[in-house]
Amino acid sequence: MIVGILLVIVSIVLPALLGSPYWAHNFLVVTLFVCVAVLQNMLLSDAGQVSFGQGAVFGLAAYVVGIVSELWGQGYAIGAVAGLGAAVLLGLLFALPALRVQGYYLGFVTLSAAVVFPQMLVALNDITNGINGITVTVPPLAAENRFGLSWTSALVALAAIAALLFHAAFRATRTGRRMRVAASSPEAAMALGIHPGRLRFLAFTIAAIGTGTAGVLYVPVLGFVSPYAFRVDLSIFFFFSVVIGGNGQLLGPVIGAWILYLVPNALLASWSDYRLLGYGIVALLIMLAFPDGVVGSLAEKLRQRRVREPVPPVAMDRIRAQSLAARAAPASATPAITVEAAWKAFGQLAALGGVDLTVTAGHVHGLVGPNGSGKTTLLNAISGVAPLDAGSICVKGTDTTRMPAYRLAAFGVGRSFQTPRIFDGMSIWENLMIGADAAPGGDAWLLRGMAENQDAWSASRPDLLPHAQRRVLEIMRVVATDADILLLDEPAAGLSPEERRDFAGMVRFLRDRFGKTILLVEHDLDLVWRVADRISVLDAGLIVTEGPPDAIHDDPRVRALFTGKVNA
Amino acid sequence: MQDLLIVAVHGIGIGAIYAMVGMSFNVVFNSSGILNFAQGNLLVLGGLFAVLALPDAPSVGQWILLLPLAALALAGLVAIQGGITLLPLRSSVEQHSWLITTLAASVIIGGVLLIHQGSAQPAVHSPFRGFRLVGMRVPASYAFAAGLAVLWYAALRWFHTRVLVGLAISAIAQDLDAARAAGIRVRRLQVLAFAISGMIVGSAGYIAAPVMAIASDSGISYVMNGFVAAVVGGIGSNLGSLVGGLLVGVITSYAAYNYGGEFQDMVALALLVGVLMLRPQGLLGRPAARRV
Repeated sequence: MIVGILLVIVSIVLPALLGSPYWAHNFLVVTLFVCVAVLQNMLLSDAGQVSFGQGAVFGLAAYVVGIVSELWGQGYAIGAVAGLGAAVLLGLLFALPALRVQGYYLGFVTLSAAVVFPQMLVALNDITNGINGITVTVPPLAAENRFGLSWTSALVALAAIAALLFHAAFRATRTGRRMRVAASSPEAAMALGIHPGRLRFLAFTIAAIGTGTAGVLYVPVLGFVSPYAFRVDLSIFFFFSVVIGGNGQLLGPVIGAWILYLVPNALLASWSDYRLLGYGIVALLIMLAFPDGVVGSLAEKLRQRRVREPVPPVAMDRIRAQSLAARAAPASATPAITVEAAWKAFGQLAALGGVDLTVTAGHVHGLVGPNGSGKTTLLNAISGVAPLDAGSICVKGTDTTRMPAYRLAAFGVGRSFQTPRIFDGMSIWENLMIGADAAPGGDAWLLRGMAENQDAWSASRPDLLPHAQRRVLEIMRVVATDADILLLDEPAAGLSPEERRDFAGMVRFLRDRFGKTILLVEHDLDLVWRVADRISVLDAGLIVTEGPPDAIHDDPRVRALFTGKVNA
Repeated sequence: MQDLLIVAVHGIGIGAIYAMVGMSFNVVFNSSGILNFAQGNLLVLGGLFAVLALPDAPSVGQWILLLPLAALALAGLVAIQGGITLLPLRSSVEQHSWLITTLAASVIIGGVLLIHQGSAQPAVHSPFRGFRLVGMRVPASYAFAAGLAVLWYAALRWFHTRVLVGLAISAIAQDLDAARAAGIRVRRLQVLAFAISGMIVGSAGYIAAPVMAIASDSGISYVMNGFVAAVVGGIGSNLGSLVGGLLVGVITSYAAYNYGGEFQDMVALALLVGVLMLRPQGLLGRPAARRV
């Protein structure tokens, strides 16, 4: 990132000092584009939104400045404010389809909007002066001092530097982390109390503010706005800059914008007809040679070469070893979870056909059954991911049948998934921080307890962790959220026998030391019989039997389902 | 009333073109999950083939003879494009690479067109004089496009249900890993799907050349409308593309007639947003479920 800032400063100052107006102008324009590309980078990699709308936002800001300051004669300052406001409004408009569709669908919708934007500029020619464009001059900004620099160039450089600094800083904040979680896995985000839609709105707004600022500065740089400057090519350019440079890399947009703008424009200046072709070929070749982008591929290579220190293993016994005060919740008579007559059907198939379940507070409650019996469906219903068609669910005495997942998470229900939802784009330590971010009081006691590992875990990604440690990492994250009810979905899958013994110990530890209520969905009957206080057996959407482990061990119905004490 | 009839006929004709772009989307999407953004410019290339290959006063025979050649030429080109697009997907985790490579392909084709003809739009001479409708002459291309769209729908349906290779491509669409495990050469069939999509847009562009804008920047409008047609009908469904194309063509033609040609794409965009808000799976699509 420092490199990026230095590049921006040098590129603005040097050509002015050397007295080359052609290069000075080129770098002014490309620095403006860098500002937008940085925000597009944030929108794409941090928020996961495939949006081609930034060209339209940029163009709208510039045009509104032109209209208000020149056609309506209000001057540049007022025009700039109006332009920024219009840009934010358009950015919010782009956020609306993002609530409904994602991925390439969103890309195509925003791309279509970027196609329509210049057409609207021409069609509404009463307001916009149509294809003639608007000429705007801002003499105070354009005046050059003795170094060849002007206020314009200073502002442009500042905008790009501010964008880079903001992006770097934002990633380290709680909101920045939660935004990346929402982009990576919406279910995991909701289970951590994050509302993905709100964060998407926020992302689009931030992007619009930055892009709008660049658009406002476009006017004094070029002095002229026309519909042909803001066609869909511009939106595609911003998107390309991010991916060519390296999606998610802080330096990526700088390099990407430089390559895609300077190479065709500067090197092919005398063959303007070939510029478009050159630009397309450059983009294609770089994408084939460096699928992770130029900076991304380089960063990846450097990461692989770095000498690795052994990473302290992620294990729960480190928490046990700490002299943490027991944080047992006061024993409560209210059942932790009460499910009554739960019914859920997928088409003709009744996944849950009237299930009754009561989980006592502070108990480990096992939920077992053959494949397809409805265990995960029940868990999804309790955690708010897939609501019931009929029946009710009460958590800690409150009716939560219709409560959405992110509110349930804030209410104290945490869950783990069949495949651990670990965010490989973040470090191990950041994965834990996300859990602490979601804790209602914001108390990072688990992180404090693990502080000795912070440096090692901050430098390592979870992608090289063995499966058992990924599982423990996910559980630790859930524990860090201070959820008092944990829903664990087949957590022992993929663990070796010894790891399962450790896991059983961890479950008992969470119940005894922390007072957690645990609803454990599992296929490993040995494990369940060892740790559970009560067990419910589910088959084809109905509870077959329920009771303490000893009581139902010899139940013939249970035996029939599992043919002896083997894994189902 | 007569005006509306003309608008409807124009809408059906242009809608058939959009439907074929939509079907070409479906063929590739069903086999590899890729939306080939270059389809619009490839359609324009089909038209360019007509410009370059047909003499000034072509006979019906010459016109018919060159139609399959147009389809095959585009098939070969798109197969190459498909191969290039699929290449990085083998090793890279980056999911956006196909978005970039198909966009880049579209830009490259636009660049080639720009070099070839600048901002001029060449005219294509058709051996057909069109047919009379309520006192006006309607270009034969509209009727041919409509017929070709239906023909392609039937051909694709037959291909996917009766021909072994087509069944294999259909299998890839339903479960990629199972298809691979069953011994299907997935990559080859994905490239074949690209080639088939090339045949569709090649023939469509060739037939529609007299009524198309063959320029370096017209491709994007076609791909956008083709996408709207596919989404309105339900992406992945060819019948959906037919229905969607018809709707998009007629609605945008009427909007252009009533409000002006520059609002055509705006109305298509409004239609797209409306469908996605109200029924994201499209008219004939089924909602996709996700395992949590």
